[in-house]
Amino acid sequence: MKPARFEYVAPASVDAAVETLLAANGEGKLLAGGQSLLPLLNFRMARPAVLVDLNGIKELSFIELRGESVVIGALTRHREIEHSPLIASRLPVMSAAMRHVAHLAIRNRGTIGGSLSHADPAAELPMMAMFYAARLTVQGPAGRRTIAAKDFFVDALTNCLEPEEIVVEIEFPIPQHDGWVFEEVARRFGDFALASIAVSIRRGQSGIEDARVAAMGVADTPLRLEDVERRLCEIEIDVRMPDRFCEWVRSSVSPNSDLHASGEYRKHLLGELARRALKTALAAKGDRR
Amino acid sequence: MSSDRRVQPSDVLRPRHVGAPIKRTEDLRLLTGRGEYSADRKPDRALHVAFLRSGQPHARIAGIDTAAAEAAPGVVAVFTADSIADDFKAVIPFSRMPNYYATPILPLASGKVRYVGEAVVAVIATSRYLAEDALELIEVDYEPLKAISRAELAVADGAPLLHEAAGSNVLLAREFRKGDVAADLKVAAVRVGGRFEMTRKAPLALEPRSYTAEYEKRRDAITLYTSSNIPGIVRDAISESLGLPGHRLRVVAPDVGGSFGSKGSLYPEELLICIAARKLGRSLKWTADRLEDVSSSSQAFAEIVDAEMGFDANGVATSLQADVIGDVGAYSIYPWTCGLEPVQVVSFLPGPYKIGSYRGAVRGVATCKPPTGPYRGVGRPISTFVAERLMDLGAKALGLDPLEIRRRNLVRSEDFPYRIASGIIWDKTGFLECLEAAAEAVGYQQLRLRQADARKDGRLFGIGIATYAELTGIGSRIAVAPGMPINTGSETAKISIDSTGAITAAFGVASHGQGLETTLAQIIADDLGAKFEDISVIQGDSDEVPMSTGTYASRSAVLGGGAAKHASFLLRDKIKRVASHLLEANQDDIEVFGGQAVVIGTDRAVTFRQVARAVYSDMKTLPVEAREELSASYTYDPINGTTAAATHIAAVEVDPATCFVKIHKYVVAEDCGKIINPMIVDGQVHGGVAQGIGAALFEELIYDDDAQLLSASLVDYVIPSAPEVPVMEVVHIESESAVAGGFRGMGEGGTIGAPAAIANAIADALSPLGIDVSILPMTPERIFKLMEQARFNSRGKADE
Ligand SMILES: Cc1cc2nc3c(=O)[nH]c(=O)nc-3n(C[C@H](O)[C@H](O)[C@H](O)COP(=O)(O)OP(=O)(O)OC[C@H]3O[C@@H](n4cnc5c(N)ncnc54)[C@H](O)[C@@H]3O)c2cc1C
Repeated sequence: MKPARFEYVAPASVDAAVETLLAANGEGKLLAGGQSLLPLLNFRMARPAVLVDLNGIKELSFIELRGESVVIGALTRHREIEHSPLIASRLPVMSAAMRHVAHLAIRNRGTIGGSLSHADPAAELPMMAMFYAARLTVQGPAGRRTIAAKDFFVDALTNCLEPEEIVVEIEFPIPQHDGWVFEEVARRFGDFALASIAVSIRRGQSGIEDARVAAMGVADTPLRLEDVERRLCEIEIDVRMPDRFCEWVRSSVSPNSDLHASGEYRKHLLGELARRALKTALAAKGDRR
Repeated sequence: MSSDRRVQPSDVLRPRHVGAPIKRTEDLRLLTGRGEYSADRKPDRALHVAFLRSGQPHARIAGIDTAAAEAAPGVVAVFTADSIADDFKAVIPFSRMPNYYATPILPLASGKVRYVGEAVVAVIATSRYLAEDALELIEVDYEPLKAISRAELAVADGAPLLHEAAGSNVLLAREFRKGDVAADLKVAAVRVGGRFEMTRKAPLALEPRSYTAEYEKRRDAITLYTSSNIPGIVRDAISESLGLPGHRLRVVAPDVGGSFGSKGSLYPEELLICIAARKLGRSLKWTADRLEDVSSSSQAFAEIVDAEMGFDANGVATSLQADVIGDVGAYSIYPWTCGLEPVQVVSFLPGPYKIGSYRGAVRGVATCKPPTGPYRGVGRPISTFVAERLMDLGAKALGLDPLEIRRRNLVRSEDFPYRIASGIIWDKTGFLECLEAAAEAVGYQQLRLRQADARKDGRLFGIGIATYAELTGIGSRIAVAPGMPINTGSETAKISIDSTGAITAAFGVASHGQGLETTLAQIIADDLGAKFEDISVIQGDSDEVPMSTGTYASRSAVLGGGAAKHASFLLRDKIKRVASHLLEANQDDIEVFGGQAVVIGTDRAVTFRQVARAVYSDMKTLPVEAREELSASYTYDPINGTTAAATHIAAVEVDPATCFVKIHKYVVAEDCGKIINPMIVDGQVHGGVAQGIGAALFEELIYDDDAQLLSASLVDYVIPSAPEVPVMEVVHIESESAVAGGFRGMGEGGTIGAPAAIANAIADALSPLGIDVSILPMTPERIFKLMEQARFNSRGKADE
């Protein structure tokens, strides 16, 4: 289980990294935390001619408040996001989700740019990108462009980047909500999710004014359930709401079966998590589970 | 409690090492990165081996083209079955068992491949990277044959044959009988039964299999460093296969990072690396990567058991019968044969119970999978799972408490020695004592009340009991594996004091995590009268003792410990003889302790160092005939072996929303006889239970209908990690056995009891829904399906 031969380049800037990719003629591959890429190299499932190491590009690592958004540099480690007070106060659902990402050693190295680009359908950060309607800034030979999260994730383990493009930073608009919850079930703590749901709401006089619902582990990409969000805002809050929510969520997914869980079980799990999540979100103002 | 040691006056005052929770002396090096594993060996200009493994489950090898690989950078040689055919004799896992076909052990697949992962070609290169590059250049022309993915398909009419020469896919068949089961079942007040299954499991040691063959040109000799727990058996087998006498073939198991049985058989790669080293006159290294380790090391369980038990109206089990089909994989293993795992199931099924009549039949069936082999507990995790499920089903049918039905059926102290149907004899062991101690420790009655409360709230709370007995420290009268021709009944200890006064104790046993360097030194410290820290234990080296087999089958404390005791006594007597000259006292008036010989009741003493100097260096103090070399060797054979037993009790809760199982409480009461080191015993129980939890809830090697392994990485093969293993309580019942020292083996028990206890607890938790547990692991997916089915059934009833 040794990788095939490759060349290793460690550029000092994003411009230089783009140039290296261009010179590699589609045979280049970016290396961030290496937590997903290195196993692929060792299995020889990925065999790039040139490995372009981003770890020397310090300006890619930051978390900052920019207007009504939090912006995170692509090389920011999971651990930094997990412990950021800014994220905890402005993007609390993401803060809660981070504790479910793998294990400490992996969080120390894994990066948000790597996680989003890897596009695992059961990974937390891609789900958070959908949940917060994030915008990814990417740089390529033609300069920079911005991609909405919903356009970025194309399929399982597939994003929409061109071979010479690099994710530079990700902007997360801050929702004005007062109740939220993140629920996940994994076989073991730190495993990829069997199913997960994130809910956040703003309550008004007569009901829910605004809602966000995202799910993962139940499709080839993380899902934002906009229909369900809309329906939540259309009905009155009562005791039957969590059950109805559960049904809406269930009926909006049709997960596949795999080694870890059947589609029916994933659907069941997601429904149960949804019911529990909405109860919590309704009960609490910004309470953390 | 009795002991075979003479009590001496100062015993009360003197701290003894046996029984003390001494920290493991090997841990300092192992935990600070100073251990040395096979892969850490750095022989001069070693070459690296990589194996091309079959991606086909079953195919004829029509041709292999290695030309491009041979020409690749860094490649020194490429070997196939044909190119090494004259360099070895196949190793045959013989057995005297009737109805058994022995498949030979070959270093590389010859003529056919029979499972995905079987080694077909070996590339030898200057680095592992270059060797793996060259693998991609090899063309194997396979003619695919029909795959056999499941045991039931292998025995179906018209199934393709895996080994044509065997004439059948049934590689072994065996039956044990006692009394007239059919008649007893007919008159039984209650009959319970079912079809039970334990799926395939990977032993999964932290260190993958790893071999370094160091070639010595001068003597045409090989030292094989192997991550094996049976270095002595490996030495003897390779010696025979390669025609290399033992003084030119040394086999060393250095530090070994776990085995759980997966390193307890001779492997094709061990043969290949020695053959290649000799052919090339070079030193070679190979370490399995995780994929190779999971897909080519011996695997566990894979049995389906149809069983039935009959009870009289008082809840006494009168009769038991079982038909077992074991999916043994593609080959037998050496030396244990493919009978090891499945035959043990029927050998041990009656367990610690007095059951009137018994019939147990087993078939070991070849499939396109890696061989099954020894795995912590061997056969007994599933025999215990089945017997304990049947006990609970019986209790339920009779309206008895599960604790009570076991009280009524366990072999009682007045019944020992008790012979069960397969011929195994239980010596006096605390069966009932373990049951009662576990019940008390877990607070059984309160737990039942807690369960009643939980049920009122609609919660799925269950309690499960498992009791079992196992045979440990097996002597020469009983074969560890059925009909096996090699002797596994003795072990040698060689203890010497050198001219510096240092004590070296050499053994053939091969600790791979059990802490034998500590426990054997504890025994020697007491029985030789030495200082603990002066003793160095050497083990796992075939050059140190003339014959040994290794560490497996819960034998090393009993056999190694017994040998250590006897050798210590012999050496202590030598020390006394020398000391009697030096101290001018009668031998009988001298006692030895703390590294010195003392005239009882005086302050006249000589240290071991002074004794050694007198014997070896100072030519004046001793008469010539009194200068006996300070060494002693003893080969100990417990003849029969000794029983070990335990009761496990688990309390679990099933979350109806997630279908996850949470273990609330876990208690083990075990009888391993005289405890050498309670800390190590606890550690072994904890580790064993953790693996049992894996078997009960998580671990499963999944092969699809084409016999392709789907769960080949640790993402897909899920093992319990620290949060999934609960805090557990371990209670010790020390009923000393009759073997030297009163020890019983205890390394495997945790894994035997835990699957059954957890299965019973889950069944108890789900019983309000009318759900039974008959397959392990009980994954959330399986529980979900069972609950869905139960929901569907009850809806059906409501509609009627
Ligand atoms: C045992 C284990 C358990 C895990 N469990 C979880 C889990 O529960 N949840 C979870 O979310 N993740 C989990 N992960 C994955 C982990 O979060 C990884 O860190 C993440 O998927 C990839 O990030 P990385 O920085 O390591 O990327 P790398 O492995 O370096 O790269 C991944 C891919 O992204 C590309 N890439 C990297 N950076 C960029 C960039 N800036 N622009 C464009 N492309 C880029 C690479 O070329 C590569 O194709 C687990 C990993 C392991 C090993």
